[in-house]
Amino acid sequence: MTVHVASVGIARFGKRAEGLIDLAAEAAGPALEGVGRKPIDLLVAGTMLSHGPHGPEPILPRLAGRLGLESASGFRVEATSATGAMAFHAAVLALESGRFSRALVIAAEKMTDRPTPEITAELTAALHPSEVAAGATMPGLAAMVTQRYLERHGLAPDVIDLGSVHARAMAVDNPMAQFHKAVSREEVATSRPVALPLRLLHCSAISDGAAAMVLERGPGAASVLGIGQGFESLRLVDRPDLTTFAATRLAARIAYESAKITRKEIEVAEVHDAFAPLGIVHLEDLGVCGLGEGPSWFEKGWVARDGRLPVNPSGGLLGRGHPVGVSGLVAIAEVALQLRGEAGARSVARLPKVGLSQSMAGLGSQSFVTILGSAES
Amino acid sequence: MNANEGTLEIARCEACLARFLPADGPCPRCGAVGVVTFPVPGLGKVLAATELLVPPPGVPAPHRLAIVEIAEGVRLLASTDEPLPTRGTLVSVRKDGEIYRARADPAAAG
Repeated sequence: MTVHVASVGIARFGKRAEGLIDLAAEAAGPALEGVGRKPIDLLVAGTMLSHGPHGPEPILPRLAGRLGLESASGFRVEATSATGAMAFHAAVLALESGRFSRALVIAAEKMTDRPTPEITAELTAALHPSEVAAGATMPGLAAMVTQRYLERHGLAPDVIDLGSVHARAMAVDNPMAQFHKAVSREEVATSRPVALPLRLLHCSAISDGAAAMVLERGPGAASVLGIGQGFESLRLVDRPDLTTFAATRLAARIAYESAKITRKEIEVAEVHDAFAPLGIVHLEDLGVCGLGEGPSWFEKGWVARDGRLPVNPSGGLLGRGHPVGVSGLVAIAEVALQLRGEAGARSVARLPKVGLSQSMAGLGSQSFVTILGSAES
Repeated sequence: MNANEGTLEIARCEACLARFLPADGPCPRCGAVGVVTFPVPGLGKVLAATELLVPPPGVPAPHRLAIVEIAEGVRLLASTDEPLPTRGTLVSVRKDGEIYRARADPAAAG
């Protein structure tokens, strides 16, 4: 049974005064209006961080009450930085089962109201306890992945700067993005070192935000053609190859197979560039280009809106901001907007028929690939 | 092999046969608690290393971390107080409470 994205809502990313449920409701509003307030029988919501004084805030009953969804079934999901993608996949499966007919998927995150060390500590909890004990951070581990990647392919360290420059240039045209100022290669290269070779402008930013969409059964301009997931060991040190993400390669293979398409048919992609080099590596893991070839796609402008394959025309995590639980859902929402011709100034040059989104949990312990397209294709 | 070097305890998971350290926790791969432990020389080779200029709260900056291969396919995350080691550097590793500390192996250097 085909399922399609019927409507999308996004609450602007950045430092917001509103609370978690306010942001979720702000995103849900346009999504519900988009389907003429037709009845919703399934609510799937996700947030990563704990927001209550004693742990996770009970978001489902609050959202149901706020949005008048008391008669809907509700599920809450969590997959760290891929929470939003997991929420989407769960809703797709529920609709495909035939049990539900219209789902509201919401992801929301509130990060800027708490001290940065507190947020960092919660984000670090996505790592393995032995990594936490060693004093590792997400950027620290990503730095070692980047170092191995560059060494293996004999690439100059500054190729990763291209990812940041591209993302920030794209975000200028996205009114929902946190950042609207382009950055030069020099600005990236001289930004504050975080864990070399990673610098501040290679790292996505703490952000508030929310995304929502309504999914319906039946075909549409943004139908779900295929989904795929994959896992890899939680600890970085247990992975045989540090220069590629096996979970993404598995997820991509399964998604392409279920969509019955090849990577060559993808016309727009939103990938999980939590760190600039990862956005480059993901293109390789998705099979868009060969291993070590990702940087040349950025260098040649092939990832631009009028390029061979527009990548992250929304600005990606680096340009949009990274409200952790939301990034996976907004990436799918952005692909849906592109396919529906509703992406405004961030629209790619040619209206795409097929688009892909990729998100990952932690540093790749679980990866999600979602392929949307017009159902006829 | 340097006779003066200490040993590290490696664990083998009885459920999934993964080998890992630290040996005093459940299997990082499958979460099983049943493990068999055995000692190996505390020597290894650096695969990657970085310097965290923004370490976690309570950890002084800069905090240097290295991925060290102790046996084929068995790696750990160690901190070091020495200048950042390059890939391939031979190091001695000892366990210090919950964490591993690496230093350039004098035998290899000599």
